Amino acid sequence: MNLNIDAVKAQTYDAIVIGSGVSGGWAAKELTEKGLRVLMLERGRPLEHVSGYTEALKAPWEMPEAARLGDLALKYPQAPPDAAKTVPTYWMPGADTSYRQEKPFRWLRPDIVGGKSIMWGRQSYRFSDIDFEANAKEGIGIDWPIRYKDLAPWYSYVEKFAGISGEKLGLPQLPDSEFIAPMDMFLVEKEVRKSIEKNYPGRVMTIGRTANLSEAQKVHVDNGRSPCQYRNQCIRGCPYGAYFSTQSCTLPPAVKTGRLTLRPNSVVTEVIYDAQKQRASGVRVKDAQTLESQEYFAKIIFVCASAMASTALLMNSVSERFPNGLGNDSGQLGHNLMDHHFRIGANGQWEGGQDRYYYGRRANGIYIPRYRNIGPDKRDYLRGFGYQGGGGRQGWQHQVAELAFGASLKEELTKPGLWNMGLIGFGEQLPEYKNRMYLDKTKLDKWGLPMLVFDAEIGENEKKMRVDMLNDAQEMLEKAGLINVKTYDQGSVLGQAVHEMGTARMGRDPKTSVLNGNNQIHAVKNVFVTDGACMTSSACVNPSLTYMALSARAAHFAVQELKAMRI
Amino acid sequence: MSTPFIRRREALQRLALLVGATLSLPVQAALRGETTAGVPLVFSEAQQRLMADLADVILPSTDTPGAKDAGVHQFIGHVIGHCTAPAQQELFLKGLQQTDALSQTVFRKPFSELDSPQRTEVVRQLTQREKPFFLTLRELTIVGYFTSETGATKTLAYLPIPGRFQGDLPLKPGQKVWAL
Repeated sequence: MNLNIDAVKAQTYDAIVIGSGVSGGWAAKELTEKGLRVLMLERGRPLEHVSGYTEALKAPWEMPEAARLGDLALKYPQAPPDAAKTVPTYWMPGADTSYRQEKPFRWLRPDIVGGKSIMWGRQSYRFSDIDFEANAKEGIGIDWPIRYKDLAPWYSYVEKFAGISGEKLGLPQLPDSEFIAPMDMFLVEKEVRKSIEKNYPGRVMTIGRTANLSEAQKVHVDNGRSPCQYRNQCIRGCPYGAYFSTQSCTLPPAVKTGRLTLRPNSVVTEVIYDAQKQRASGVRVKDAQTLESQEYFAKIIFVCASAMASTALLMNSVSERFPNGLGNDSGQLGHNLMDHHFRIGANGQWEGGQDRYYYGRRANGIYIPRYRNIGPDKRDYLRGFGYQGGGGRQGWQHQVAELAFGASLKEELTKPGLWNMGLIGFGEQLPEYKNRMYLDKTKLDKWGLPMLVFDAEIGENEKKMRVDMLNDAQEMLEKAGLINVKTYDQGSVLGQAVHEMGTARMGRDPKTSVLNGNNQIHAVKNVFVTDGACMTSSACVNPSLTYMALSARAAHFAVQELKAMRI
Repeated sequence: MSTPFIRRREALQRLALLVGATLSLPVQAALRGETTAGVPLVFSEAQQRLMADLADVILPSTDTPGAKDAGVHQFIGHVIGHCTAPAQQELFLKGLQQTDALSQTVFRKPFSELDSPQRTEVVRQLTQREKPFFLTLRELTIVGYFTSETGATKTLAYLPIPGRFQGDLPLKPGQKVWAL
């Protein structure tokens, strides 16, 4: 008996954080810094900062031959792109067979400590009140329970620590962050920017806002980080700690408190509900390798496993009180699945600037903030889109006469080609109840978890928006004097943007939402969900910065509530 | 959707899209490691010499080393041998045979015994008679050369750790393109 009590004690923490990505990292940092003993559970393998990034500094000729093919790899059918050799097992092997698609869906799953914070695109933008108010104004979905003013101080808080490079614009639709120095633009980008400013009142083009240290301020240096070296190989992991990841940014301070226990290879299978206390008491975990089961207990549980995985975990946590999934009184759990739709835009070339060149490899692009349905602009669809993209000057890959060979070809390929520039639209998707994910409990994986099924697609509003996304890109590039402007629409399947959102949405009314304005499950006050699952609408901007702000805010709220003995 | 290849290719595109539109070649390359499927095609020594000689006609030694010096034939051999379907492998092997056949017809010697202008003439004829083979050979020669240590560091400007970014600078006389 005593033994059991001791065992339970040893497995009891103040808080459990499920997931170690962008959201989980922030939750762990804030909770440990506020004095809580935290257990962070990650289903992936350990990935040590710096020493774990084994491919980070390799030259092209140190990579496998087929890896050197670049884009051409697609032409060589027996050279399947397999990240395993070059970015060893950052991604979950066989993830594409771990779910079922009723409608086409892509679910990209990391398999490491740090989650997608290691491989993310780093683009960081604030939501605005235009985003927070849109649902209520237009009668779409439900109203957000928070407004910009609730989140603004938390945006500032996370930005100062993470380091967001960008340029102040003072736009109502895209509030400025606490910026470190903006990165430079390529000449061709500067030309297109001038043309947009001249030809389109109300439209601007700015340098991408990115979580890369364009300069390392004291707060960053003190956290062991160095400035960006402009190698543009972020996705392999940064040995300089120059971009925001769990490992570079939120994990070190959490570890420093001495109150963090990080347990990799830990697949959380269930959140345990205590009907008497009307609280969650802990979690069940399966070791990813040994498949041994274990239980851990805590006063507070932060679910930060990524939108789809967190939702699946709540759905799999059934009890008499919650037969349809933990906290799912509203029946909304798994519904209102959103992503951004993209893969549409235009590219062109520029004949000017032949006597100009560039230096360094910028791990960032440009950004054209949303301008549709802003101010006097009114379209036949709701919401809008922004453009990412960028320019450059072609190198040895540039087109030369296809039958050319010999010394002249060699000479030609060592000279810079034309400047070029592309725009990719990223559009908002409206929340719709019919867009959903659910569990197929007849199909279990080796950890005993049910298979996820995706049944979601973009709708008419998004399709109408895409007409503008394509035409506007072409028009802006042509107006800027680019030549050979070509449009493309590669179609957009949900999940491809890896901005999955909305399946455990926040709201004021427990009858129509899963979480309240503090990311707390309405009916289970000690469980918080702060990843993409919580989002009530998607806006058109990259969402990770908002997850950071929401996670930090919810963690501080949770500690307050704990001290006040309300949870 | 129906073949593992397509699924992997889509996974790859997702990876590429995840990091936005500013992927540099090495980052793209980082996403595209390779696993071998099927039985690899192993080239004979004579075939390898021929591939090296052909590559050297496409990117010859000038004031900088040529494709042969850069060992490009090994790259080509690996890609054709490990990364292509049997039909493509056959096409490539046939191209090699035709090269020697053409050499014999025109100059009554195998390709390896031709002098430089004669080799150039045979390759010029290949561009007409064996165009798919020539295009494959040319493409792999270019990629293999400029991603090799020799090509990247001797013929192009290789800058592993730039340390800063400037998007608009004067193009200096003789400035070669960046290898990355």
